[in-house]
Amino acid sequence: MRMLILIVAILAVLAAPLAAPWLQFVLTLAIAKGMAALGVAILLRAGLISIGHAMFFAASAYGVAFLAAGGISDFATLLVLSVVIASLAGALVGAFLVRYRAIFFAMLNLAVSMVFYALFAKMYGVTGGTDGMTIPVPTVFGMQLAEPAFKSVLFYGSVALAIVVGLAVRRYLDSPLGHALSAVHTNEVRLEYLGVPVWAVLLIAYIVSAALAGLGGAIGGFAIGRVVPDFAFWTASGHLVLVAVLGGIGGVPGAFIGALFLELLHSEATALTDAWNLIVGAALIGVIVFLPKGLYGLFARDEVAAK
Amino acid sequence: MKFKTVLTALALAGCLGATMPASAQDKPASLGLGIFTFTSGPAAAYGMPGKNAADLMIDQINAAGGIGGVKIAPTYVDEAQGAQGVIAEYRRLAGEPNNQVMVAALSSANCLALAPLAEQLQVPTVGWNCDTHQLLQDGKNKYMFRPNGNTVPEFVAYAAYLLAKKPNVKTIAIINPDYAFGHDAATIFKAALHALKPDVQVVAELYPKLGSPNYQTEISRLTTARPDVVFSNLWGADLENFVRQAEPRGLFTSSQVILALGETILQRVPLPDGVIVGVLGDGWWMSPDAAANPETKKFVGAYKAKFGEYPVFPSIKMANTILYVKAAYESAMKKNGGKWPSRAELAEAMRGSTVTTLTGKTQTRPDGDGVVDQIVGVTVKSPDHSFPVIGDMVRYNGDALMPKEGQDPIAWISTLMPAFAASLPKPGSYK
Amino acid sequence: MNDIIPLVLDTLSSAALIFFAAVGLTLVFNVLRVLNVAHGSFYSIGAYVAASMCFFIASKHLNPYLSFLALLVSAVLVAVVLGPLIERTLIRWTYGKSEAVQILITFGLFLILEDAQRMVFGVQSFYEDTPMRLMGSTNIGGIVYLNYQLFLIAMAVVVLFGLRFLIKYSRLGRLVAAVVADREMAQSIGVDTGRIFVLAFSLGVFLAAFGGALAVPTSGVAPGLGADTMVLAFAVAAIGGLGQIEGAALAALIVALARVLAIYFEPSLDAVAPYAAMLVVLLVRPYGLFGTMTARRI
Repeated sequence: MRMLILIVAILAVLAAPLAAPWLQFVLTLAIAKGMAALGVAILLRAGLISIGHAMFFAASAYGVAFLAAGGISDFATLLVLSVVIASLAGALVGAFLVRYRAIFFAMLNLAVSMVFYALFAKMYGVTGGTDGMTIPVPTVFGMQLAEPAFKSVLFYGSVALAIVVGLAVRRYLDSPLGHALSAVHTNEVRLEYLGVPVWAVLLIAYIVSAALAGLGGAIGGFAIGRVVPDFAFWTASGHLVLVAVLGGIGGVPGAFIGALFLELLHSEATALTDAWNLIVGAALIGVIVFLPKGLYGLFARDEVAAK
Repeated sequence: MKFKTVLTALALAGCLGATMPASAQDKPASLGLGIFTFTSGPAAAYGMPGKNAADLMIDQINAAGGIGGVKIAPTYVDEAQGAQGVIAEYRRLAGEPNNQVMVAALSSANCLALAPLAEQLQVPTVGWNCDTHQLLQDGKNKYMFRPNGNTVPEFVAYAAYLLAKKPNVKTIAIINPDYAFGHDAATIFKAALHALKPDVQVVAELYPKLGSPNYQTEISRLTTARPDVVFSNLWGADLENFVRQAEPRGLFTSSQVILALGETILQRVPLPDGVIVGVLGDGWWMSPDAAANPETKKFVGAYKAKFGEYPVFPSIKMANTILYVKAAYESAMKKNGGKWPSRAELAEAMRGSTVTTLTGKTQTRPDGDGVVDQIVGVTVKSPDHSFPVIGDMVRYNGDALMPKEGQDPIAWISTLMPAFAASLPKPGSYK
Repeated sequence: MNDIIPLVLDTLSSAALIFFAAVGLTLVFNVLRVLNVAHGSFYSIGAYVAASMCFFIASKHLNPYLSFLALLVSAVLVAVVLGPLIERTLIRWTYGKSEAVQILITFGLFLILEDAQRMVFGVQSFYEDTPMRLMGSTNIGGIVYLNYQLFLIAMAVVVLFGLRFLIKYSRLGRLVAAVVADREMAQSIGVDTGRIFVLAFSLGVFLAAFGGALAVPTSGVAPGLGADTMVLAFAVAAIGGLGQIEGAALAALIVALARVLAIYFEPSLDAVAPYAAMLVVLLVRPYGLFGTMTARRI
């Protein structure tokens, strides 16, 4: 039942741009943010809330911009290298931060991301300051595509990537490493008595989450064609957590459901009302209070009932 | 191999989709116009006068029958939502067949973000306030136009005016917003001063973030440096905040202050006499040319009646831009026998055109850049108004202050000689 | 050498404003153990209400000195209306829940309040400098300072010692201390913790709103102020050690000094300075200058 819903949903996403071409941009962005939110959701499983993950989203997008300026023009190479950059950044930051819990973890992430934001906003000579940097249209397998064609490649490519990444993350969460995450949340000390190196478990999770945010950032950067420091502002990080929680952290599709839901609602709502943040804020509170498992919980509950 | 085939097919499909709205068509029911400006946040103090002017100008054009019988239906996009949202809106509007031309944008940052998009989507895009000279520098743009001039003539004009007014200036300090516009202006102003009077020293350079509310520490820093001249191209609410905080602390008496966008706040903040201000172009609604033009008088009167204050130069820039779009449509239709032009034909009509505006004229060079005159002056009390106006004016010929096409602007500025400054008209010559 | 006096004065006057932005956040965390992400919104709401009141006074041609009173009254008004309302409904629901839930609930509140301000006060910037103009200026060491800047420094000192006194010596303060030390124990000996929480939260709202109101005469208010204030407050609270009021004061000085030094000697780093200071302090002392580690969940 749930599988069926998922397949129908994926097909609907694939078909949507044929009906309304501008939706392609919105949907690409939704997938990009969904990936980043998935990264945040992994950490949330361990009870760690990061208000700073937008920095990896931004780091990877800046990575693409710098590499492209440096002469690398191949799409796949750029994508891989930028994810590597985000992962390295994640390893570096994570090595310091996974020692902390709760509020301190949240605030340290915020601190690091704001340093990143401020540095990139101030280094006008290197990063273009608040103007940001252009991300040009890359070559795909040696072909220089026209802009609209590349955007189609990007869109269908990211849907495919989302499916692959989703399956991989599912495997990861089902592995002992993944189960250890929830165990950190419920009882960390017991985990240590069992001889599980909590530090390593969390560092791996942190790097995975940074890599996911980086993948999202690269896709988002390609879609927008520009990267600006605002990508890393703390409210952007807050929105990633929001997407994860709105969708539900119980399962992999949650992050994507949350992102699609928000982006589609956004593009509809901005035409009607200015009070977009108000709607999102109220929705967030509503979901936390009444739907602790997120929107995804709606489907998941169906399945339990069907069993 | 198979994957490549799929990719090629996708690419073809994409190309087909993109080329559809490019051919000449029947007249639409209305002409969509995407207008990008700041309607919220600190930058709205500058952006709203632009929007107001667009509203009024479009009303006036529609009341007179529209463009070739087609009424203009504007859609406003708030630039305060950031590059991501602005790009999304641009894409959405470009996808609507009605929307054949964009007026974008106010912020140089957004202009730089949208320019590649204009080329990719082949939508004629008229920068109503895109002053950064980086915008058209590579000379490859086919769809981006800037009828209102750029940072090079704008800030060379201030250097020339300052040296004519205060030939003995020794030290300057700069406080500009921290993005392309602020950094460009500082580079140009410093280069021009360096070329025209090499012994001038820069004693402080500050770049507060756009939208900063508090400038007290910056003001202390400027005061301790004791410069002869403080130059600033802050704008919007930032400029108002800066002036309100700096004036009681004596900055305007201890140094000669240049507020490049000072005209925008004349009616809002009490500026002392003798501040060098200008309009980044020729858009001063009380200039002799504007006063002699009945169209301008009508526009100014209607603006004052509708919005309760006189237009500021962003209003005039916007109004002139709308006139520019109208002129391009009319000349394109004239060329192809009255048929509604395609996007490509419209862009062709803009290139190389000369359009009469409310305050002078604008010539579009083949690279899409506009040549307009520059008016600079100082604040003086006015017998007719409760706020200060611009006196001791000069109107520099736009051509004289601009490098030739394809020439590096900073390299061009460094070739300027003191004789160049002597050849320019003097303060007070524009009456 | 001549730069010392302006350096000190500029640091003190910006530290005063930064202290006001952060002290309420830290107080609320100290008592309620909730990190209130919406704290910055109370700051900007205070600023908007104060600006509106001052406009009203000016438009009715009332005694302009009333605008000083308006700064205080507007903060009280915001605290009395919003404090209990939000604590009784949203914040109360999060007690005992995980930090993630608390942060998210208050982030949702932040989003709601940001738009609510837009709808009530519009999107234009407000500027009202009557109090600043009334106070005039003083020439200190060749540099003109606004007396209002000096007034801000005095107000910060008053609030700092006022809070200290309130917590150390008043009955309310002792109850708060009891609740902070051991919530269950305090409850069991008959302390009405619910009332203490409402009062503490409202006091936090008041401090934020008062900070916003005091900032209006020198810096105006525009959309986005809440989000910017929030990160600054975070930085200061984290440096000082969450929940430490003296820590917040010292942290405000450090952040202000970092920023002032940057503007004087390396202006390209002005925006980086506060966060860099935060990072350096937290890398050396992860729980802040005055903070202590809380136990891991067992």
